[in-house]
Amino acid sequence: MNLMLNILLNVIIAFLIGTILIGLQRKIMARIQGRPGPPIIQHLLHTLKFFIKESAFPKTAAMPFYVAITAMLFVIWVAAVIDGPVTEGSLLLIFAIYTIQKIGEHNAGSSSGSPYGKMSCVRAVYSAAAEVPLFAVLIIIYLKAGTMNISSIINYQSIHGPLLFTIPLAAIMFFVLILSKSQYSPFAITKGKDIVSGYETEHFGLLRGYLMISESIAWYMLLWVFLTVFIGPLSLPAYLIGMVVLSTIVAFINAVTPILNPNHSVMMQVSLAFIGIAGSIVLLMI
Amino acid sequence: MDKLKIISWVLFIVSVGSILYALIFNPASWIVYAIALVAIPVSVLSFGFIGMAKGNKEEEEGKRREPFIGY
Amino acid sequence: MVVSILGSQIIGIIPLGDIVFYMTSFNLFMFAAALAFTFIIAISKTETQVEAEFGSLGDREIKVAKKEFKFRRFLAIICGLATAGAMVTGDIFDFTLFVCLIGIVNIGIVGAVKQIDVLDSAFQYGLIAMIASTPLFVGASLILAATGTISILAINSLTYTTPMMLFGSILLFLGVAGETGVAPFFATKAEMFRTPGSPFLLIIHLSSLLVIVRVIEILLIINKPF
Repeated sequence: MNLMLNILLNVIIAFLIGTILIGLQRKIMARIQGRPGPPIIQHLLHTLKFFIKESAFPKTAAMPFYVAITAMLFVIWVAAVIDGPVTEGSLLLIFAIYTIQKIGEHNAGSSSGSPYGKMSCVRAVYSAAAEVPLFAVLIIIYLKAGTMNISSIINYQSIHGPLLFTIPLAAIMFFVLILSKSQYSPFAITKGKDIVSGYETEHFGLLRGYLMISESIAWYMLLWVFLTVFIGPLSLPAYLIGMVVLSTIVAFINAVTPILNPNHSVMMQVSLAFIGIAGSIVLLMI
Repeated sequence: MDKLKIISWVLFIVSVGSILYALIFNPASWIVYAIALVAIPVSVLSFGFIGMAKGNKEEEEGKRREPFIGY
Repeated sequence: MVVSILGSQIIGIIPLGDIVFYMTSFNLFMFAAALAFTFIIAISKTETQVEAEFGSLGDREIKVAKKEFKFRRFLAIICGLATAGAMVTGDIFDFTLFVCLIGIVNIGIVGAVKQIDVLDSAFQYGLIAMIASTPLFVGASLILAATGTISILAINSLTYTTPMMLFGSILLFLGVAGETGVAPFFATKAEMFRTPGSPFLLIIHLSSLLVIVRVIEILLIINKPF
């Protein structure tokens, strides 16, 4: 198949499925909380609606940085789609993209000059402490599979069985990472409603729709990486089922937990990381 | 048309053109990656700038620096 | 001839005499990202931070003055270029030099502001960065002593890992952790980000995170558990 067509189709699929999964998550959260909740395509409708609204650009914003940072967020998740489903390249690159996403959050917040964005910017620096489980997961996968290449990891799993069963604590740590990137999660301190919308507060109209597209692709890619690296070679229907199951579990957790304050959120993630690292080292030695 | 509209139309045509070029002519893979990384976001962004709604002219002065009139 | 690093193919090698730059898709992406962000910083203006005033209903605006802007932009571009260099370098000592430079320039970027709490935080971060430069360079020299080379490509073709290499890598990681402000040292750096000048803060944060991801790659290359 033509490479460009492959990339385009994967980006569009990532966007559409990511959007529906985010909508599904909101629906499940609402039903758990005893309310009907928005329709599942609500996130998609919001994204499309924002493209035809009037956008306001704050007078105090750092132009063109304010617009360029939203474009960079989209660029890195397109790069993740290219590195993941299209070429199955390096896993380290996916993690580098995850860290650059934090940068995007940090600077989308501070670029507008609003005090809410500034608070989100500082909180994004705190949430970078959640990188500790990220590196531990990388190192443990490398120790187990001997490679950082996604297609080699898939081959390893087709021979030795899913990594989910052999390094379960690394899978749990990666799941905590996914949880921290989801909407309304206990660790979502950069988007908490106590700072209005965090880094998205001052990105109106078109730029908000643009950020939502990046969010959808990011959600799809994180779930795709989890399923590929920890469960192994799957067909497309199996991917969809796996993603729905993961989104449901995340929705259950998000519906029953409040958003933690920044220090608690960081300490919780770092503690889970230490338990995971210590446990994995013990398991590897046995 | 004002500057923003012109720049967005130019960017939109260039980015969609490069995507079509990569689709039809199938160049070397690194060129395709570079085009995909730059052109897909720029095309969506410029499409958004073209399609975004504009406010009324009369209301614009009121939106610029709204005086605080108390609660 | 080395053809694969951690499972990815090497796309190219740029030999600049003794210092060799190598590119896999991972390094190339981070290099391009660092350069793209540096370009965006070079062409951007800064934002005006808006805060509430005490005692009245007005707004207080905090801007970056022109001279300060030019100075901080220069340092931010240097930091961006140093980050880009650290992403592709194939030489451990070159990498530690870039990390040290990033640490110094990070302090400089916020050293020009006039807010006391930001300056306090920069001072504390500077202390930790200076303390951390010791394990940084000691780690690199221990790795040199244990393997006989500082070239990452040459270390990649070694098939063993001695305990001294492991110890050197731990020290190197400690040094990078202190210089870039990963947990638990991030707590000092967080307050530095409250100042205006968003593009310049980006490069402080970006340099730290990209350097940490790169040092993980280097550590995985040096320490082969099989």
